[in-house]
Order: sequence, then structure tokens, then C-alpha cells
Amino acid sequence: MSAPSEHSGPVMTAHRAGLTGCHSCGRVWPQDHTKCLRCGTHLSPPDRRSLQKVWAWLIAGLIMYIPANLFPMMSTQTFAGLAGNSESTILGGVVELMHHGSYDIAIIVFVASIIVPVGKFIAIAWLAIVAGRPATVDQAHTRLKIYEVVEFIGRWSMIDVFVVAILSALVQLGFMASVHPGPAAASFALSVAFTMLSAQSFDARLIWRGLPLRSRTG
Amino acid sequence: MTDKPEPLKPASPVRKTAARAAQAGVNVIWIVPIVALIVTLGIAWNSFRDRGSLIEIEFADATGITPGDTTLRFREITVGQVESVAFNDDLSKVIVSVRVDGDVAQYIDSDASFWIVRPQVSAQGVTRLDTVLSGAFIEGYWDADVQQTATEFTGLQRPPLVRGDQAGTWVKLSMPSADGMSEGAPVLFRGVEVGRVENIRLSEEDDSVLADAFIEAPHNARLTTASVFWDTSGFSLSLGAQGISFNVNSLSSVLQGGVAFDTIVSGGNPIEAGHEYPILADESSARSTLFATDDNDRLRVGMLIDDSLQGLEKGADVQFKGLRIGQVTGLAVNVATDDSDNAEVKQLVTMAISPRRMGLPDDATAEDALALLTNEVAESSLRARVASAGFLGTSLMVELVQIPGAEPATVDATAEPVPLIPSVEGDLDDFTASAQGLVNRIGNLPIEELLNSARDALDSVTALASNEDTRAIPTALRKAIEDGSVALSDISGITGDLREANSGETIARMLDEASSAFKAITDAAVDIPEMVDQIDVAAASVEEFGFAEVSVQVEGILADLRAMLGSDDAEALPRNLSNTLEAASGLLNDLRDGNAAGSLNNALDSASSAADEIARSVQQLPQLIQSLQTTAARADTLFASYGSRSAFNNELISALRELSRASASFGSVARLIERNPRAFILGR
Repeated sequence: MSAPSEHSGPVMTAHRAGLTGCHSCGRVWPQDHTKCLRCGTHLSPPDRRSLQKVWAWLIAGLIMYIPANLFPMMSTQTFAGLAGNSESTILGGVVELMHHGSYDIAIIVFVASIIVPVGKFIAIAWLAIVAGRPATVDQAHTRLKIYEVVEFIGRWSMIDVFVVAILSALVQLGFMASVHPGPAAASFALSVAFTMLSAQSFDARLIWRGLPLRSRTG
Repeated sequence: MTDKPEPLKPASPVRKTAARAAQAGVNVIWIVPIVALIVTLGIAWNSFRDRGSLIEIEFADATGITPGDTTLRFREITVGQVESVAFNDDLSKVIVSVRVDGDVAQYIDSDASFWIVRPQVSAQGVTRLDTVLSGAFIEGYWDADVQQTATEFTGLQRPPLVRGDQAGTWVKLSMPSADGMSEGAPVLFRGVEVGRVENIRLSEEDDSVLADAFIEAPHNARLTTASVFWDTSGFSLSLGAQGISFNVNSLSSVLQGGVAFDTIVSGGNPIEAGHEYPILADESSARSTLFATDDNDRLRVGMLIDDSLQGLEKGADVQFKGLRIGQVTGLAVNVATDDSDNAEVKQLVTMAISPRRMGLPDDATAEDALALLTNEVAESSLRARVASAGFLGTSLMVELVQIPGAEPATVDATAEPVPLIPSVEGDLDDFTASAQGLVNRIGNLPIEELLNSARDALDSVTALASNEDTRAIPTALRKAIEDGSVALSDISGITGDLREANSGETIARMLDEASSAFKAITDAAVDIPEMVDQIDVAAASVEEFGFAEVSVQVEGILADLRAMLGSDDAEALPRNLSNTLEAASGLLNDLRDGNAAGSLNNALDSASSAADEIARSVQQLPQLIQSLQTTAARADTLFASYGSRSAFNNELISALRELSRASASFGSVARLIERNPRAFILGR
């Protein structure tokens, strides 16, 4: 991915230098320090056991993602239920939108609600698996970028929940029509939150732990 | 933590760290996914449990049913949803699968009924319009008893008229035909809807039609074994002994029929559900059959009569003082032997009489009634006879009447087959005879001749009366002739008599007088030319007057002339004269006509009412004749004055001119004097 020339030489990591980076402010301390003297955060060396947290949050997010797709996301009531109630799940909504010809919106919903969360699950799981494994410098850079993307996307994953929240607040026309959030909205929100926690609990320093001691090329 | 930190020492292999991590204790964070899993599983289990059970309902068609959308409702509350619609094996029906909520599913047992609710337009109105918006739904009804649950049902074609939990009584109605009756027709009790007719079907046992009727509580308490049902469908028009009767019930019963019931006679027993009632044709027949059904203890008696029985029918009334106490049950011919052993054929009329109707207590028996009758026959000479019923008298009934002074008789209680009540001859003959007389009399009236004469007379009268000139004749002239004419006073005397003669008995005499009056009129009319001649002579004499005399009387004549010329009537007089004379002669011709008088005579003989009319018109005659006379007289006078009119005129005008010239000169002299009195004296 990245130009190999940038990382041609062996990368000096804090760990390799016998230092421990601070989680919160980034200052490195000698490994015998247990507390960051600058910001007071507890210093801990990168440890694969911390991946347990990642896995736990990830699994919780996955579990919540199942009802989020099975239950209706939003229920629309027109004419006080006389003209019918419509309840749609995420996928059902996408299919319905496509039937109505709104392919653009359908794609947006599909990407925001299906592709992004699923991609996040896969990305985080992959990162957690490969963290600490031996890797070249380029591979390490790739992992770091993926991690950054996951972190960045995390805050935008709530689009669906936002849409439902805004619609239920706006469309309360009494007899004419009303929109209520379905149980899937809560599950989806929880799922996104758990995934974000999972991504946050990933220790990015582990990416660099698997680097070879010396460059193969050099 | 587990690493041994050594400054500047190369990193230990990651594998080692991972291996240690595997051996390390489980982190607390794992509680989170576990809790999430438990919660999710709990929700899943809940929704699975609440999913309810699936039932299948069979319908002939699935109009308006949409899987996933159509609901199942119980008392208008949604308790389920249609999941799918499919055909049965031979495609003859539609099977609708409904997911019923778990909390009501247990009550849906084999008694449950289902039907599709759609908008309906019927004779009773428009119902369920709301389903136009919301779409059709399936309505179900079941009771609260939990019995054996069932999952397969057959849907009803239409909503049941009566829900299972409604209190009331089902009865069975039988009728010869279901004309005008339709499902859902109302059952009325004194006009109040108390139930519905349902399930009209052909009887399997006989030719009749059966229907079920549901009478709602508390009205079902009014049903007894003595209740009668009758048909109120459509409208009825009947022409019977009681006249014409036309009955229309509510519009609804015209459109979809209906039955009514009533319990007129007390004493019936409460009924059980399914009691069968016959539906009678109409209310009157229902009420009359009460005699056949109200009590078993009817008194059966008979009477022997000689009269013709044409018009007397089985079922005819038996009346006592106008009250119906029973009905005729049979007509037969009875051969009886009289005292002298002569076989005699008589008509035997058997009757059934209700003791209750005779004023006896409810538990009176036939024997009591017979005893009462026997007593009445002996004491107040009660007799039976045939009488006519209704205003046309075409049908007959039996009447029990008290005939004072009748020959003594007794009730023959031993007669077979029924006790016999002594009878008298019916009062039909009188009636028939008088009716015939009336008809004959009507037929004999010379109506045409009467009308012709009357029309002629009226035409003449109208022509006279409508003539404006008649009314415009100055009264002064009329009076002059009225006083002078002897004939007129004769006529007024006669007409005075005529006026008094307004009764039928004096008509003949009056007519005689009238004809003599006509003669007098004729005489008077004959006199008129003479009068005209005389007046002509007078006019001639006036013409011969010397002008000198005229100028001597000029002042008086001037006054008269001014009055005359000032009246419009004077100008109209010439025209009046000719018109009036024409009309007068026409009238006189009519009156003189012997045929008219003769036919009038005949007519008056038979028609007393017409006689009154004629008398009235005759009363007008004197006035008319008077008018005639006055008109003629006035005409004569006018002729006289008119003859000299031109001469008068000329003289008058010239005299007036002279006069005005003289007065003008006098006026100028007067003004001169006024202006200059001296000039009068001095000459200038």
C-alpha cells in the first residue's frame, strides 16, 4: 500500500527502545515507570490480553446486531391505524425503497446500516486476530490505517438511529400519520456503541509489536 | 505486567506473550456480551411466545383480505393478523391463516364464528363505511368458555344477525311462501323492532317455508303459546266486508319484509326455544284466528234458518250488540221434521262462541256460556239472525239480537249435533228492498231533460246578467215605468207567490202561477209597441212645439239638458236599448216556449232537489221582467227626447253663444266702469 521506500529502514518502536508509551498523552517513559508523570495515566505495556476487551465488546455488538436486523426499525401509522400500519426492518426498508425506485436512498441506507457495521465487525476482528503477529512494516502500516478508518467511521454509524429519532420526533401528525421507533432502533444503537467501544479498546501499539527486529531487506 | 521489563532489551517474541495471555484469568469485560446475549435471547423468546397460535379459516372468497395487513378483530379490538391466504385442495375455497394473539387464542374453540366485515348497503341502511378506509377485516366471535381449542374454522358468508351471547329466544316460523320476506327482516311487536328473521329455508317435510326468528330479551317474555305472528311485508290492499283497507308498514318492511307478533289473549304458556308459529297473512286474520286458538272451551251452537245464505261464509263474525263473540264454523243443510211430520230443509249454521268474549270469567266453560245463552233467550228474547255486514251488504254475519215481543222460544240444548238457538228471519230483505227502491228512483229521474231546460234558462239568465248595459240603466227611468205599468204589479204579485212557494208540495201550483205570469208578461210585452207609439206621438208633439215656447222655457230645459248630457248613461242609452231588447226577446221566447215549461214540469215531479233550483231561478224572474219593462220604457222616453234632440241642440248652442257674447260685452262694460267710473258718467 504505502511506498516501501518510506519504511525501508528498521522501525524503532518504543517497546524496542525499552520504553512504554502513555495511552493518553503519548509520552514515552522507561519501562519501569508505572505512571505517566505528565498526565498521571497508569502506564501499561502493550499486552495481547487487552484484546479480550476488544473481543468482548465486539461479540456484544454482534449479538445486538441480530435483533437490530430482525425487529422492525420503525413503525408508521397512518390514519390512526385505519389505513394500516407499516413496520419495516432494515433490509425490508431497503427492498421497499428499491421497489419504489429510490435506488440512491436505498444504497445510502444499505451502506450505512449493513455494509459499514459488517465491515467494522470484520475489520476489528481481523485487527484483533493479527495484532501482535509478525508483520512487515508495510503490513503494519496497513493495519494502522484500517484501524484509523474504523475509528473514524465509528462516529458516523448512527445515521440510521438518527433518521428514526428525527422522524419519530417530527412525524407526529396525530390522526394522519405517526412514526414510532421499533425495537431494532435500540438494538442498532447498542450495536454501534459496542462496536465503537470495541474499536477504542484496541491497543494500537500491538500493531507494532509484531515487527521484525531488523529489516529483512537491510 | 507479566513481562520482565529490561531496559533496552529487544522485544520478547509475541507468541510467548499470547501464550501467557491464554493462561491468564478471564477479564470482567466478558460480562457485557453475556448480558447482551441473555437480553437478546430473552427478547427473542418473548416475541416467539407472544406470536400466538395459527388458525385457519375457510372462506368462499378472500375479498379485501391482504396477508400481513388484514386483521382479526374481536369486539372491534385487533387480536390477530392474517399471515397468508391459500386455496384448499380442490380450489373451491380460500383458506386464510390468521395468527391470533396468545392471550385470546385459548378462547377460540369450536364454537367460534368468523366472518369478513365489508361495507354493506342494504335495506336497513349503509353499514361499516369505515372499512372503506381501513380495508376489510375479519371479525370473530367466541365466548369466554374455554373448551376444546380448534384451529380450523369455516367462515360465515355474512355477519350473523344475532351474536351468540345475546339474550333472547329463537323461534321457528312457518309460512306458505316467503314472498317479500328476506334475511334480516325485522320482527315487530306493536311497531317496535324486537328481533330479526334469519335462515329462511324450504321445509323438508312439507311445502311450507321455514325461518328462524330471534326475539331479543326482554321482549321474548312477551311470547306465549297464545301469541300470533303475521306477515307485514310490503303493503296490503283489501276490499272486504268492512270496506277498503290499505296498509303500509315501514319502508323497511316494504323492501325486505317483516313479521309482527302480538299476544292478544292472555293465558298462554311460556314457550321453549324453537317453538313453531305459523305466519298468518295479515293482522286481521291473525286476530280472528285467536278464536280458534285462545281457548279450547268454545261453545258450539247452531241455528236453523230459511234465508238464503249467499254471502255467509265460514269464519264470518258472530256479533252480539256489535261485539264479536265468535265465528261461524260451518254451514250445512239440515233436514228437519216439523210438528206435522213434514220434512223441511233448513240451513244449519254452526258457530263457535268464546265464553270469555261474552263477559264470563277466564275459567268459564262452554256449559256456563250455554247456560247464559239459555237464560238470555228465555228472559230477554235473545234470537239469532243473519245480518248483513259492511256498508255494501254483500257479505253476511250472524247477529244475536234481543227482539222484544218475539214468540217465546228456548234453546234446544239436546239438538244434534249442536244445541240450537232460536232464530228469526234476517233483516236482509228490508235492506235489499229499500236499496232497490232507491236505485230505481235514481234511475227514473229525468236528469237529461232537466239539465237541458236548466241550461237554457241559465244561458238566458247569464246573457242578461253579464250584460254591462243592464247594470248601467239609470234607476230613474226604471222607476218611471215600474210605477206606470199595471202588468208589472200583476207580475210582482205572482212572483211574490212564487217566492213563497219553496216546498215540494206547492210546486205544481207554483208552476201554474208561473205559466199565468208568463202570459201576463207576454201581454205586457204586447203592450210595449203601443207604449212606444204613444211616446212617439208625444215626441211628435214635442217637435211641434213652437220655438217661442221653447225659448220661454229655456231655463228649465237648460238645467235638464245639462244633467242629461253630463251623464254617461245618456250616451250609452241607444246601445243599451237595442241590446236589452234583444236579450229580453230571447228570454221571453225561452220562457214562452211550452216545451221548456212542460219538461220543467216533468222534471219537478220527480226531482225535488232540482225543483228547489228552479224555484230559485224563478224567483229571479220578476226582477228580470221588471228590468225589461224599465228598459223598454226608458228606451221609449229616450226615443222621444232623442227625436227632438238636434233641434234642441242647435237652439241651445246658439242661445248659449248669444248669452256668452252678451255676458262678454257686459263684462267689458263692467271692467270699463271699474277702471274709469267717470267715463261711464261722462261718456269717456
